[in-house]
Amino acid sequence: MGFPEALSEISKRVGKSKVLTDPEDVYAYSLDASTEYRRAPGAVVRASSDEDVRVVLEVADRERVPVVPRGSGTSLTGASVPISPDSIVLDLTPMRRIQVNVDDGYVMAEAGATVLEVDRACREHGFFFPPDPASSRVATVGGALAENAGGLRGAKFGVMKNWVLAMEVYLPGGRRLRIGEPVYKWRWGPDLLSLFIGSEGTLGVITRAWLKIYPLPEKVVRIMGTFDRLEDAGRAISQIRRRGHVPMMLELLDRETIEIVNEVLGYDVELAEAMVVADVDGPREAVWRMAREVEEVMRESGGRTRASDDPEEMQQLYQARQGAYAAVTRAYPGVLLEDITVPLSKLMVALRELENLRREYGMRMPVFGHAGDGNLHPTICFDPKDEDQLRKAREMFIRIGRLAIELGGAISGEHGIGLAKKELFLEEIKAIRGEGYLEVVREIKRMLDPNGIMNPGKLWF
Amino acid sequence: MRGTAVPEIVRFAAENTTQTGDILGLGTEQRVRWAKGLLPRGPVNGTVFYSGEMYPVMGYAEGAFRMLKRLEGFMDVNSLARVGPLMRKLGIYRVGARALWGGLNEKYQRALRDAVYVLRKLGVEMGYLFEDEPPSGVALHTYGLLREFKEHAEWVSRRLEELGVRRIITLDPIVATAFRLYYPEFVKDWRVEALHFVEIVAREMARQGVRLRLSRRVRVTYHDPCYLARTLGVVDEVRFILGRIEGVELVEPPRHGVNTGCSGDGGLELTQPPLARKVSYERIEELSGTGAERVLTSCPACIMMLRTGFDSMNLGLGVDDLASLVAEAMRNGVEREVETDAGEERREKLFFKRYRVLPRSPEPKSLELDDLAEMLLWETDKCKKCGFCNVECPTYRALDRLESRSARGRMTLINSLVRGDPVRPRAVLDRLYSCVLCGQCSQSCPVGLHVQELIVYGRAYAIYSGRAGVGPGA
Repeated sequence: MGFPEALSEISKRVGKSKVLTDPEDVYAYSLDASTEYRRAPGAVVRASSDEDVRVVLEVADRERVPVVPRGSGTSLTGASVPISPDSIVLDLTPMRRIQVNVDDGYVMAEAGATVLEVDRACREHGFFFPPDPASSRVATVGGALAENAGGLRGAKFGVMKNWVLAMEVYLPGGRRLRIGEPVYKWRWGPDLLSLFIGSEGTLGVITRAWLKIYPLPEKVVRIMGTFDRLEDAGRAISQIRRRGHVPMMLELLDRETIEIVNEVLGYDVELAEAMVVADVDGPREAVWRMAREVEEVMRESGGRTRASDDPEEMQQLYQARQGAYAAVTRAYPGVLLEDITVPLSKLMVALRELENLRREYGMRMPVFGHAGDGNLHPTICFDPKDEDQLRKAREMFIRIGRLAIELGGAISGEHGIGLAKKELFLEEIKAIRGEGYLEVVREIKRMLDPNGIMNPGKLWF
Repeated sequence: MRGTAVPEIVRFAAENTTQTGDILGLGTEQRVRWAKGLLPRGPVNGTVFYSGEMYPVMGYAEGAFRMLKRLEGFMDVNSLARVGPLMRKLGIYRVGARALWGGLNEKYQRALRDAVYVLRKLGVEMGYLFEDEPPSGVALHTYGLLREFKEHAEWVSRRLEELGVRRIITLDPIVATAFRLYYPEFVKDWRVEALHFVEIVAREMARQGVRLRLSRRVRVTYHDPCYLARTLGVVDEVRFILGRIEGVELVEPPRHGVNTGCSGDGGLELTQPPLARKVSYERIEELSGTGAERVLTSCPACIMMLRTGFDSMNLGLGVDDLASLVAEAMRNGVEREVETDAGEERREKLFFKRYRVLPRSPEPKSLELDDLAEMLLWETDKCKKCGFCNVECPTYRALDRLESRSARGRMTLINSLVRGDPVRPRAVLDRLYSCVLCGQCSQSCPVGLHVQELIVYGRAYAIYSGRAGVGPGA
């Protein structure tokens, strides 16, 4: 048997209407938000139940057909793009039930629910779901877990893995694995949750998760600091954290970003070498005191500050950061969005080195990102029709990744590895952890997915 | 116009539009009879009331739409499109349609008469072209028959000039969009001003200080048609008009104004009626959830979708054109404020905000295949696949998030078609025809792509594509 036979069996068992094979259907699934990798699968199976997932993994494993799990396809690295045409894309978007359990402090979400849908469901009960990738209105819970996504609130709340109590995962062959319990304390080891979170669909398919929820903050004050030197902004950020403040959001934008936002979106944001936007949350009585302290730190580093708790003004203070990606993508048809993380103490060095790199290549590269957790998004802009610019952009992409490794950071803070950063990833592993680490992980992969059907070609596999 | 990629129902509508002047091909007499004795023939001071090719026959479309639901599984819309010409040959088409659905159509024609009554009460001078009214041909644009649209629009432009028309007032926002936005793109030196009914009514009510009163109290909700609110940016006028009618309480649905939701039309009601019905359900639930006793809107296609939707879900909610409610209030008398210091406020109200939420339209050098391909590839390559367009895409939502019938999926498919991936033009066209052209995608695209317009151009490319073995005259 081969791919057609496997498909025919799946089709019989899950129902014909859930299996798409027309080129005009499968080509719609040929890209993700990296836009760089393109391959249509042989078929798309739209799973609407656990049983559908089980059947696909059972048949595909037996027939050695690659399976690429997919949520909304918002990964920025090619993680949800198949590498071979005889692959099945397993679309989990039809599975999207959400149940909030306030008494026990969690929300159960199926893999296809979007992160924003989960957050909104929690908000109806006075709680929220803290991880907020910029794509949260589209990105699914399954995808966000598989990528271990982060977001703007990472400085305080971390990434997806910090919010998972339990998960259900299906393994190649169709075996179901229930990991963890929806309680706040349980201590079996080894912790298999962390094995699957961030594994980019290479070990199994996450079908649902029990996620922690958090009370909505009583009050939030937004502070905008503008700086004449990029390094001053970097210093302010590390000082804010060093002095014990953990703002819910701590974002950085450089001059180039502000320029592009003003040019493209017609805003009139004060032009400065750098801007820092911080959200300080806390009890009504204390939040302004905390905000003033953060303002003070920014001023000590040479910043000029504005702060507000008025929703309209808060929106105004945030508009440059909010519009950054839209402005850059409108201005440049080609962009490579980097995603490095560096230790906070190395933030200033990283910013300086990025500036040097920009000068060396003579390319536009706005830098913005969640600097509060050391995660930066240098965004290399280029004209895709210009071969020279394309070459330079790719070189810069690699060199930025290497910079992160040299500084003791990571090549990806939240976007993942997929196809885009595979080589860099192996470099990072070898440089920091050594070949032995790689061997252990490959053994785990062989054990869970002996036939190598799960999202081949991604990560270390 | 003929092409194997174009479904029969689209050909049927397109031919009728250009040859008979209405989408169903019921003939001039049927199209103009509503206006007999109401309006003088020809423009008055260059102004005409323009009924368009949908409003005067929309009741027949509604009848056919209802019938198709009953026949689902036995007959699809393309088979129905084959029956029409056959009945016409047998000489029973018009008589049959009138006998079956003449009553339904009366409601739509009444809205036209109400609109004229309101405009005249406000002193708007205008005439009507009767059988000389050239059809706007907007359906050609909608379905991507852009070369035919261009040719037709050029003829309409010449014809209106011969007839001395300088200003058009219409109750149909799709026609208003065609004349205001598409004609200037396709016709050189287009100079005719096009206004939607609510724009001129709001302006005149403000200018004259008009206040109206209903003889009953009614809680209404308003469904903003996408062509009026999102495309033309006309939002505040409606609220102003309703605010000036005593006895009317307006309850807004969660999605309103430029963020309105789709009721399932935009051409989909013709090409894929079952999907159109599915799309409408979400909006129908939303509107009925407002607790309103009556739903108002300002678009014939939206009226049809909402009426049939409310009926099929047994919600017992009536749908009217806003014009009918204004006319009802006006029949109780028109009160004009005495000139006071409120005059200044009124003058300010003469200018309503024009919302601009859609990006610039794409501009191919010409409608030749190479130029279409160049533009489409350039634009769709810019798509970052972020999927923001899918969040509010009505068909993506109605079809359980099916990518190939979503805004982002359509961008990918157009790109694949133009690149030469092994996708079939006819099948791509089918996915592109599943779009309601509501424009939510264009409004939410961070890159600034006019996704809605790209879909129209994508339809054109699929139709004229050489690989389809079709093309004009093929």
